[in-house]
Amino acid sequence: MTTTSGVSRPPELRQPNVLRHFGQWLRNPGFISASPTLIFFLIGFVGPLIIVLGFSFVPERTFGFHGDWTVENYVHIISESYWISFAWSFGLAAATVVCCLLIAYPVSYGLARIFGRWAAPVMLVLVIPLFVSENVRLFGWYLVLLKGGGILAGSTKFLFGLDTGTLLYSPGTILMGMVYVYLPYTLFPTTLGLSLVPRDQMDAASDLGANRWQIFREVELPIAMPGILIGSLLTFVLAIGAISEAKLLGGANIVVIAHSILHEFTYAQNWPLGSAISMFAIVITGILVILVMRRLDLDRLLGRK
Amino acid sequence: MENEKLVKQLTSHDPVRGAGMTRRNLLKGVGAGALALGASMGLPQMARAERELAMLTWDGYVDPRVLDGFTDQYDTQIKYELHTSDPDSVNKLRAGQTAIWDIINLNNPWAREMMWPENLIVELDRGRFEPYFDKMLPMFKPPYKWAMSLDEQHLLGVCQRVDTFDFVVNTDVISAEMGKDEGWDLFNNPDMKGRYGILAYDNWNIMHMCMQAGIHPFKAKSDDEVAKFEETARNAINGAKMISDDFVAINLALINGEIDMYFGGGTYSISAARLDGLSNLYHVVPKSGPADGKGGINWIELSSVVNNPTLHSKAFDWMEYILQPDTSYHVGTAGGFLLPVGQLADPEVLAKFSKEELDSFQWDEFDYRIEHAVEYDVVPDYNRLYDIYTAALREKS
Repeated sequence: MTTTSGVSRPPELRQPNVLRHFGQWLRNPGFISASPTLIFFLIGFVGPLIIVLGFSFVPERTFGFHGDWTVENYVHIISESYWISFAWSFGLAAATVVCCLLIAYPVSYGLARIFGRWAAPVMLVLVIPLFVSENVRLFGWYLVLLKGGGILAGSTKFLFGLDTGTLLYSPGTILMGMVYVYLPYTLFPTTLGLSLVPRDQMDAASDLGANRWQIFREVELPIAMPGILIGSLLTFVLAIGAISEAKLLGGANIVVIAHSILHEFTYAQNWPLGSAISMFAIVITGILVILVMRRLDLDRLLGRK
Repeated sequence: MENEKLVKQLTSHDPVRGAGMTRRNLLKGVGAGALALGASMGLPQMARAERELAMLTWDGYVDPRVLDGFTDQYDTQIKYELHTSDPDSVNKLRAGQTAIWDIINLNNPWAREMMWPENLIVELDRGRFEPYFDKMLPMFKPPYKWAMSLDEQHLLGVCQRVDTFDFVVNTDVISAEMGKDEGWDLFNNPDMKGRYGILAYDNWNIMHMCMQAGIHPFKAKSDDEVAKFEETARNAINGAKMISDDFVAINLALINGEIDMYFGGGTYSISAARLDGLSNLYHVVPKSGPADGKGGINWIELSSVVNNPTLHSKAFDWMEYILQPDTSYHVGTAGGFLLPVGQLADPEVLAKFSKEELDSFQWDEFDYRIEHAVEYDVVPDYNRLYDIYTAALREKS
């Protein structure tokens, strides 16, 4: 006898397993409606990344997946001097974010609170350069900063008899170019973040005796922070992949990581090593992005709560 | 039972249910969409006589005058892609793109040493094309080495643009004679540190750094020679004020006194500026060097027909078209690159070039340049040298 009473237990309900859950999910009209976009996303975005990932594990200077798998490309990156390129790329990207924030914050504040009806024309002036190719804009800076007959050097020589010497080919010039190119990507999310700060809360803080610095630190900055973080993140990720600034304004005296990847995919014809450097950069950038995203409340920024 | 059947029929024809999103409807929609896409893209292509002629090429053949002339004459549209480098495009064919391209235009060694042995290109009819070689500069007299297979039996392409690619000086600062006398040692001179640039055509930079190191670029290197190359490459890169893959930027630096000379360079990079009156930009070929006593490097562009299983019917017509006098002139002045063409031996072609155009590519010195240059070839140990070169770039101090 296994039962202590004469009452039999009801049969156990069959628990849905993972496979069944997945099947139900596949039959969900929402999933079915989204599937064309999902397929497009998988083929167009995830697919190439998987190919790049695969290439990073094949022997150097091979062009297919028929060889043995190897990690020698990653070993090569660590054992050779690629850390210099990574350090330059990440360092310049971080410096670009800091400079962009320092410039963007006051401008955003003006756009959100002060400029009033002039905000739209100011915004237009800031947006218009984005209609022109980045390379063309940077070449414009090259012509401005060039020694001798350059626009700046020629003008100062003509007007004041001053010889500016060379202003190109230095890390500072590269940083200037990057700040110029990526400023809008910090500016607009920061403006959005600042425009979400309710005037009433600032007035209330003021009425309760907070000074300007306290209002900034305790009210304005926390509320605007999601916008600032998104702008910083966007700028950082784009700046990691920057190449034209270092090549044109920096005279390639610095080889950034995108330039190293370009070397391997073109003249070196070493797709596996180029893929491994790309994956390395993606992973490091991804980790940094995840760390920042954990601090970010998208629902709050988008007004969903 | 009959009632149940009737209910099923009714529900299957319910217009409201039918309008909802079901897998069947979705598949129907996707199928219809695919059919519509096929109708808009595929069917008209099937109805057309033939696809576009597809060309992998350097910049000489994409001038609108060249392309439009062929389209008008042969009623054939052309699509093209410009090379990043010779090996890059050869690898595209190796990776299976022979099914895409009809014509490939590369520097001299690739057809003979790589593409023909690997069955990537097809031969030309010698009877049809060799008479054109008779009208070219004497160096191209048939059977011309670089247009023939290694066994000298098969004609692999036709030649057109030709010159050397070495270094450029600003003659307001460094005289042409001094450049020719000093040769590649100019770049080894510590006094020139920070006064020169490098035009970053990387495969050419490897060859030029070999020259600076006193090594024949096209012969296999010993370990000692590789060590010498590394020392020279690091010195050359560390001593360069700027490195750019944009010859307009590097010419501007030269004109404005940022630098006084650069390598690699030549008529390819300065002819447009010289045509604009900047005759102080000068292409120098050293009087001597380590490559069989020569210091210059002579390139010849060769157009070949790809071994495409569905080769365009006008591919061979294109090869003949580019050799016509008008086309030769257009190729020689294409897109702002003014360059000598093999057809300049033909008085009819020569007459089409103005004196200024001939001066822009230093035509008066052409024979000297060719005489003092070794012919461009595949660089043995290229991968090893390239890794050294890129490491030196990363570690530039």
